[in-house]
Amino acid sequence: MGYEALDFYEVDSLLSDEERMVRDMVRDWVDKEVIPNIENACREGVFPDEWRAALGEMGVLGAPLKGYDCPGLSYTAYGVICRELERGDSGLRSFASVQGSLAMYPIWDFGSEEQKNHYLPKMTSGEWIGCFGLTEPDYGSNPGDMITRAEEMDDHYLLNGAKMWITNGTIADLAVVWAKLNGVIRGFIVEKNDPGFSAPEMKGKHSLKASVTSELVFQDCKIPKDRILPGVKGLRGPFSCLNNARFGISWGAVGAAQSCFHSAKDYAMSRIQFDHPIASYQLVQNKLAWMLREITKAQLLAYHLGKMKDVGEWIPEHISLAKMNNVDVALEIARVARDIHGANGILDEYPVMRHMANLESVKTYEGTHDIHNLILGRHITGIQSFTREI
Amino acid sequence: MNIAVLLKQVPDTTAKITISNGKVDENNVSKWSMSPYDEYALESGLQLKEVTGGSLIAITCGPERTKKMLTDAAAVGADKLIHISEDKVLDSTQVQKLLAATVEKSGAEVVLCGKQAADTNSGSTGPGVAEILNAVCVSMVSEVSINENNFISTRPSNSGAEKVSSNGISVFTFDKGISELRRPNVRGIMMAKKKTIETIKPEEIGLEIENSDRITLQSQNSPPEKEPGQIFEGVENIPEIVSKLRNEANVI
Amino acid sequence: MKFTVIAETNEDLLHPTVYQLIGAISKIGAETTVICPNGKGSSEASKIKGVEKVISVNGDCFHLFDGSAWSTAINSVCEGTIVISASPNGREIGAMIAAKRDIPIIQDVTAISAGIEVTRPIYSGKATETLLINGDSVITLRPNAFENAELGNEAPISIVDQTSDLKISIIEAIGKASERLDVTEAEIIISGGRGMGSIDNFSHLESMADTLGAAVGASRAVVDEWGMPHRMQVGQTGKTVSPSLYIAVGISGAIQHLAGMRSSKYILAINKDPDAPIFTVADYGIVASWEDALPILKSELMKL
Repeated sequence: MGYEALDFYEVDSLLSDEERMVRDMVRDWVDKEVIPNIENACREGVFPDEWRAALGEMGVLGAPLKGYDCPGLSYTAYGVICRELERGDSGLRSFASVQGSLAMYPIWDFGSEEQKNHYLPKMTSGEWIGCFGLTEPDYGSNPGDMITRAEEMDDHYLLNGAKMWITNGTIADLAVVWAKLNGVIRGFIVEKNDPGFSAPEMKGKHSLKASVTSELVFQDCKIPKDRILPGVKGLRGPFSCLNNARFGISWGAVGAAQSCFHSAKDYAMSRIQFDHPIASYQLVQNKLAWMLREITKAQLLAYHLGKMKDVGEWIPEHISLAKMNNVDVALEIARVARDIHGANGILDEYPVMRHMANLESVKTYEGTHDIHNLILGRHITGIQSFTREI
Repeated sequence: MNIAVLLKQVPDTTAKITISNGKVDENNVSKWSMSPYDEYALESGLQLKEVTGGSLIAITCGPERTKKMLTDAAAVGADKLIHISEDKVLDSTQVQKLLAATVEKSGAEVVLCGKQAADTNSGSTGPGVAEILNAVCVSMVSEVSINENNFISTRPSNSGAEKVSSNGISVFTFDKGISELRRPNVRGIMMAKKKTIETIKPEEIGLEIENSDRITLQSQNSPPEKEPGQIFEGVENIPEIVSKLRNEANVI
Repeated sequence: MKFTVIAETNEDLLHPTVYQLIGAISKIGAETTVICPNGKGSSEASKIKGVEKVISVNGDCFHLFDGSAWSTAINSVCEGTIVISASPNGREIGAMIAAKRDIPIIQDVTAISAGIEVTRPIYSGKATETLLINGDSVITLRPNAFENAELGNEAPISIVDQTSDLKISIIEAIGKASERLDVTEAEIIISGGRGMGSIDNFSHLESMADTLGAAVGASRAVVDEWGMPHRMQVGQTGKTVSPSLYIAVGISGAIQHLAGMRSSKYILAINKDPDAPIFTVADYGIVASWEDALPILKSELMKL
């Protein structure tokens, strides 16, 4: 059966024609090229290079950025793209999030004119892959205490330190790396052949298996002076990137949930037990109705947040709420969908277990579920509870 | 060279068809798409355009919703979009006349369309338009190229396939083509959005469409329910099954 | 009410569908003129019951198929309601003659009654529609949907010389591609499962597929265990197919397999286990081993 995206409140009817055309383009591609190949990619633990090329050809990388050959779409369109990609696989959406929101965006917002002209056209076309180095082995939710250091030398900067959990790291042509220069967090562009830089792949993941995750290691890594991002100092830099990526995730999670719902409904309608389709039993209907309810709410959250982003009237807490909620319900929907599939749910014949395992990562990366709760807690009370030093 | 491609919007082949009050309920169609064979015609038209440097004119006849399909065609490279707008129910020959008149007006030298549309599956439009235009018609082709002043197309034959040469204004109806269909991209979509759709009323091309009483739709229905499965023990009933598959099911 | 049948031929004989066209017209109590392009099959046509007269249209244009030239030559002798087989050539000539005469055309009709009322499938068989035709029209009939007319007639044969300029020329004949059809494109699929015993036995399915012009598919078990190519796999993680006829041989019918083929129009299952779930979706089931069933099935198909 063809994929019919669950859209109970017809939220997509609120999209512009252009946004709908972009949706159909990506959805079609995911149907034809991603879904038939995703299990194989997971088994081999690779991100297929054809997907990089196709994303570039479709012109969806860095979707909401304007100029420098970038697409210049709305944030809502960017959300729709993330949703359709993640309906295929969270690893695929992660690739696009990292490329667009975490690597292209800081260059676009904080880079010099030369940097923008040099990097952005090749990144939006997919020719160059970017990654984003913020998290360190010992500093995840608390990036402000990062160890990675930059030293200013005569004609170059010297980087030392290590980053971890870096999507696209090993396959990246460049990394946007956040490091302390004289105690202040600054962004640097590191290219793959820079001396002293290596990006070994992290193996053995049970989640996001079709996505490359790496360490970035800097041992007296020398980079030219014109690779510092001139436009930002402090945590505002990485956090503004993360806001955009989290926004995309809040849409993406809806796509994963829609895929799980679609599979669970299909399965329940055709699986016969005690002489009747299991879809005819109240316990199963209750589960499906709950999935419908949560997906519909998540869609409305994502859509409204998109409109707020498009008019520029938003605060980071708005994004925290949507990322946290939508990933949380998507993960639970994946688990319930797996349950409806019975034993068959653990097979790679169905997408549900893969989505479930992926969403465990998505729940944690880009601000953990709990950290987003703390962000909202601070917003409500005015009291930060991240550290004991109040 | 001006290339006309005739397109039809149909319920997506994966969409469910529901009947209410003896008619197919079009409002209930979840997705409308460009008819699959028309996509191959469009792709071939784009390739011809790339070789000859001409202009590709996408033409459709149908209700307001069909305009979306024209914009989709523009997103992959159609230069000019024409929507023939007529609210009356038209029979096949009336549609052909409207299409032929529009092709003539557009100055196209070659016309491409699908061998049949995925709704009525008739396959009348291409040959009918060719007849009205007094054009060459080659049906069920898989590719069309241009060699000096001749069109070279490939169509099926009893022994496999054959290459057919024609010149002058020609209509080609497409089976599944040999080329992969191109995907749209964001740039194409943004350009397509700005492209205007020319709307033509029949009277503007000198055609007065009378209400046709030549064909009256009596009813549309769901296909007859299949009989419950018949399971036979042993091989004795195979001749009977084969004859049912041929004569009742019509599938071999 | 006047009818004209345009006959198609198979080599020098009438195509079997011509008997069906005449049979359909007889059924509504009418007689028909039969037009035989280039005279082929004209004496055969004159012997069919329900034929009023036969017209041989002889002309140079009939040496190769050019719908435009053929329809121009034939049109001059057509009268009344024109009935043709809904074959590719029949559809093309029909559409052109309808356009020439400015009359409507209804293609691919599967039932006809006096009036004239016709029924045809629409949306690839997902619905049907019944239409009332007022006045002359062209009607193409779906092959094998109507009963044959009987023999027993001596209708007069007249000859008309009528040709028209060919607008096309054939510059190259290309042999049949021997490549096997892809399961997603084939109208008929014959699939094998673990019940085939071993990969070597798929040769039996392949020879059957050649007889039918079918594609060969496989269940996941066979693809995984015997290393059949993944592109042949039908099912949840393989291809989703909806051919007119799906023949499942030695496939038990796991839910994942059913998910990929249950929307086939007709399903024929061969399995020696009468409780195999594949029989729950089958239109026709044969409870027998494939070794017993396939040779008989093949010889029956060869007879067609």
